[in-house]
Amino acid sequence: MTRTRKPGVSRRATLAMMGAGAVSFATPWVARAQAKTIKVGMPTILSGRVAQLGTSSRNGVMLEVEKVNAAGGLAGRQIEMVIRDSKGQPQEAARVARELVNTDGCEILIDAEASSGAFAVHEVARDLGVLCLHTNSETSALTADPKQHIPNAFRTARQGVHDSIVGGSYAATIAKAKGLKKWATCSPDYAYGRDTTAEYVTYLKRFAPDIEIISESWPKLFQPDYTEVVTKILQAKPQALYSCLWGGDLTSYIDQANIYALFSQMEVFAVNMADYTALTVVKNLPKGIHSGNRYIKTYPATPENAAWGDAYKAKYNEYPTNWSWENATAIMLLAEASKKANSADGKKIAEALRGLKIKSPFGADGTVTMRAEDQTLVGYAIGWGTTIPQEPYVPQVQAGDWKTIFELEAEWKKSKGYT
Amino acid sequence: MTELQAEQGVQALEVPHEAKTRRNRDALIALAVFVVLALLPTVFSSKLLLDFVIRCAAYGLFATSLNLLVGYTGLISFGHGMFFGLGAYGFGLMMQKTGVPVPVAFVATLGITFAVALVIGAICVRLKEIYFAFVTLAFQMLIHSTILSWVSLTGGDQGLRGGIPRPPFLGIDLSNQLHLYVASCALLVIGLFLMHQIAQSPFGYTLRMIRDNATRASFIGIDVWRAKLTIFVLAALFASTGGIIMALFVSGAYPEFAYWTISGEGIFINMLGGVTTFLGPMVGTVLLLILNDTVTRLTDYHGLVLGIVILFFAIGLRKGLMDFVVEWYAQRRSGGGERG
Amino acid sequence: MDLDALTGCLASSACLVTQTTSGFIIGMLLFLVAVGLTLIFGVLKVVNFSHGAFYMFGAYFAMTAYQFSGSFALAMLCGAAGTAILGLIFERIFMSRVYGADVLMQLLVCYAFVLIFDDVVRMIWGPEFKSMGMPAAFQVAPLFIAGGVVPPYYLLLIGVALAAAMILGLGLARTRIGKVIRAAAHNPGMVSALGINTGLIYGGVFALGGMLAGLAGALAAPVRSLTPGMGFSVLIESFIVTVIGGMGSILGALIGALLIGLIRSFGSLGFPLFTEGLMYLFMVIVLVSRPTGLFGKEVA
Repeated sequence: MTRTRKPGVSRRATLAMMGAGAVSFATPWVARAQAKTIKVGMPTILSGRVAQLGTSSRNGVMLEVEKVNAAGGLAGRQIEMVIRDSKGQPQEAARVARELVNTDGCEILIDAEASSGAFAVHEVARDLGVLCLHTNSETSALTADPKQHIPNAFRTARQGVHDSIVGGSYAATIAKAKGLKKWATCSPDYAYGRDTTAEYVTYLKRFAPDIEIISESWPKLFQPDYTEVVTKILQAKPQALYSCLWGGDLTSYIDQANIYALFSQMEVFAVNMADYTALTVVKNLPKGIHSGNRYIKTYPATPENAAWGDAYKAKYNEYPTNWSWENATAIMLLAEASKKANSADGKKIAEALRGLKIKSPFGADGTVTMRAEDQTLVGYAIGWGTTIPQEPYVPQVQAGDWKTIFELEAEWKKSKGYT
Repeated sequence: MTELQAEQGVQALEVPHEAKTRRNRDALIALAVFVVLALLPTVFSSKLLLDFVIRCAAYGLFATSLNLLVGYTGLISFGHGMFFGLGAYGFGLMMQKTGVPVPVAFVATLGITFAVALVIGAICVRLKEIYFAFVTLAFQMLIHSTILSWVSLTGGDQGLRGGIPRPPFLGIDLSNQLHLYVASCALLVIGLFLMHQIAQSPFGYTLRMIRDNATRASFIGIDVWRAKLTIFVLAALFASTGGIIMALFVSGAYPEFAYWTISGEGIFINMLGGVTTFLGPMVGTVLLLILNDTVTRLTDYHGLVLGIVILFFAIGLRKGLMDFVVEWYAQRRSGGGERG
Repeated sequence: MDLDALTGCLASSACLVTQTTSGFIIGMLLFLVAVGLTLIFGVLKVVNFSHGAFYMFGAYFAMTAYQFSGSFALAMLCGAAGTAILGLIFERIFMSRVYGADVLMQLLVCYAFVLIFDDVVRMIWGPEFKSMGMPAAFQVAPLFIAGGVVPPYYLLLIGVALAAAMILGLGLARTRIGKVIRAAAHNPGMVSALGINTGLIYGGVFALGGMLAGLAGALAAPVRSLTPGMGFSVLIESFIVTVIGGMGSILGALIGALLIGLIRSFGSLGFPLFTEGLMYLFMVIVLVSRPTGLFGKEVA
């Protein structure tokens, strides 16, 4: 076989590559205080199976950043987003986060990572002391566990335990009305799936004590085939099924369970169903699946929320996701906090963020609050309803009661040894 | 290439004092490299550079140790990453749960790796060629599944949370980035030095002989199984050290560290840099990391770019960069030596 | 562990039928992917690491065809034919350049294409997951066989896969082309000395393997969500299948696929948290006791 040898080309290419590397090393330390724009770094997942998480997070952020910049930016400084892919690998998330701060001169981090990536970025924030807003991780421990607590990290996302309290109380009402005693669960086998399911079951049993879990399934995250899980549940013959599968996994599951006619045999409670990503993708959406709201422009049923959803749709030609509103909220909070502190300094913004209450299209009462004690978002719209296969998909949402949430959350924290 | 090495090997066997001078020279080079690396932060103040070198140390140790298997012994392991993960988890858990001093945890982690590698190696090295690759891959996935399932110990998919505590010892505080940098450089240089000694020792030439002709090796009385097992375990120890550095860098350990993609990256680094020279994997590490870091900055479609670069190496050059350079150099000088 | 559930199931015929068919469904799709992998290895001695991408393309081609035409049959055809062409191009332009090179070089080329194909799919179809939807003809109530539940669509799926296995097996054993392919696997030099174009055979085998994986993807499209990178987990599982069955053996791929399917369906009852681990454990045991797999021949 003939070999093509082009040493000249290869050497040039290599030198160019080395050169590019050297340039990035030699970039002098960006003088922060004088900088006109303020750079906000955002590590997220833009490739692979959950690339949608990254793209819809980015869309949510950009929509708000444009508004903030048009209104003068953060304390007079225009926001410049630096968004980078971590490929869903925690070590890359940590590296990218460090690079964003140390090299690109980002003064604030929006951590739009999922699962373990969020904990990796959290450690970077701990190390560098930079202001960090977690926007996608809903794992309760991230903010509830005092061991994780650092003064410069906040969460502007839902929290698993809130969902479970509302979901549990909603399901218990229906269970009592319909006499659903035997339950099965089917959730992805990773921290979010396990914790959320355990919490949900706890509250379900609390509100309806005679309930029994007769079958548990734990498919792997991103498992392509759920046949064995579907049939296992059919064997157990439960009266109701709970699942916190999400995204493509949930739609696969629905398609596969559909041909076994599973949905006609039991009541199904799928917390992540009422998100446009799943609602618009599933072609044969069964009627009457109970779901928690993720993002839906008809709930809260306010003109502000509908307008936000429409503006997003107009700009990106797709509906917002749960991740979109969580990321948009981060920017809204930043803008308000910076106004309150009259500064773009991370420490001052962090100070202003604690306990900050802002107007928000996503609030249960038109506002959301950054709770001071554990620096996580509360007061966002949270509720459950049943699906129909066309718009508005979830016609009636039964709102969760934040007073009950707070009471039970405090109790839960105590039981976990967090307080 | 291999004949040339074999010739050198004969020399090394026959003239012991020459081997000694060589070792001294290597030690001097290693010391000089370490001093240069350690002084680097005084010239460049970029924190990125420090991060970059720390990551190079982690991946470099890992990739070079893999080359001891792939390049020197002809054992293509698809599961070498399990020891990288084992190092990260072993060290992280030890620091989080027991609170022993860093050096103790370091040594204990290597001890655990030694034991695990001995058991897995004893099963694996009996198999040949592609089957060895498969069985190591299967073990890797088994360990990965175990890490995911054993939530109470490993934290499952979320990894070891809450950071890795690192109390200062002997005036070294590894939570200080500069200290971590110097420590990583030291581990890298010592690791490379030791691996080079292994590669140049009579045992190293035994390995090359096994790679080229295992039957002949066993005819002249070499216990092939034992030699393969020895290098498997030794390589695991260096990979584990790489994992420890990575765990310190990200202050945690994640299941991805024990996933087969890490092994895949190791192989890729080796192919990129070249497997016929000792420093090939190190060059490959630097190349891949620069490539990865620059491409992810520039585009979301880094898979596409990286893929095309790989194709350039695999189809265009058909060998790693160092192989190419060495061959080119040898052609120009018509028979020059191999030197890192 | 939940051994009660497992023994309880083994004692009930309804459960036994349902779980066994569910094992078959998982297994047969895996078989379609794995058999291409094993065929390509058998003839070309290449471990086609990018095989999962063909599965992915098959699914995307089928979905697009279905969206435009509304015809399920056309969707399947497009999925299979499209990937066959892709396989041929891939082999002729790229893989053919690294035959005879290091195994690692071949792997590297495949790895490059895993990265490239995933990004290409992301460029064309977008990063979000998609669903093809079940054709109306199959939106019917499941059948009950001996108390067990079996959906009609899965019967079709098992039928197609079994037919593919039979045609392949018979084709290789009985036809002239089959004999040439087997001869090329044993002694390519001799085959080309006989005046047969080995390049054509190699390209054909790659196209065939790609087609089968594409068909699997197309068949899976109505029930599995489509995302870039979806071929990956399927690749890993079919890889396990071929290793267990023996690289190069079609029968081995069939048995291996069914075994993995059954391990999954019954393992999820008995060991719900360690089903994946069970597969790897099984693979280790097979490899250690029989390195060439259950049906593999010792390669000289």
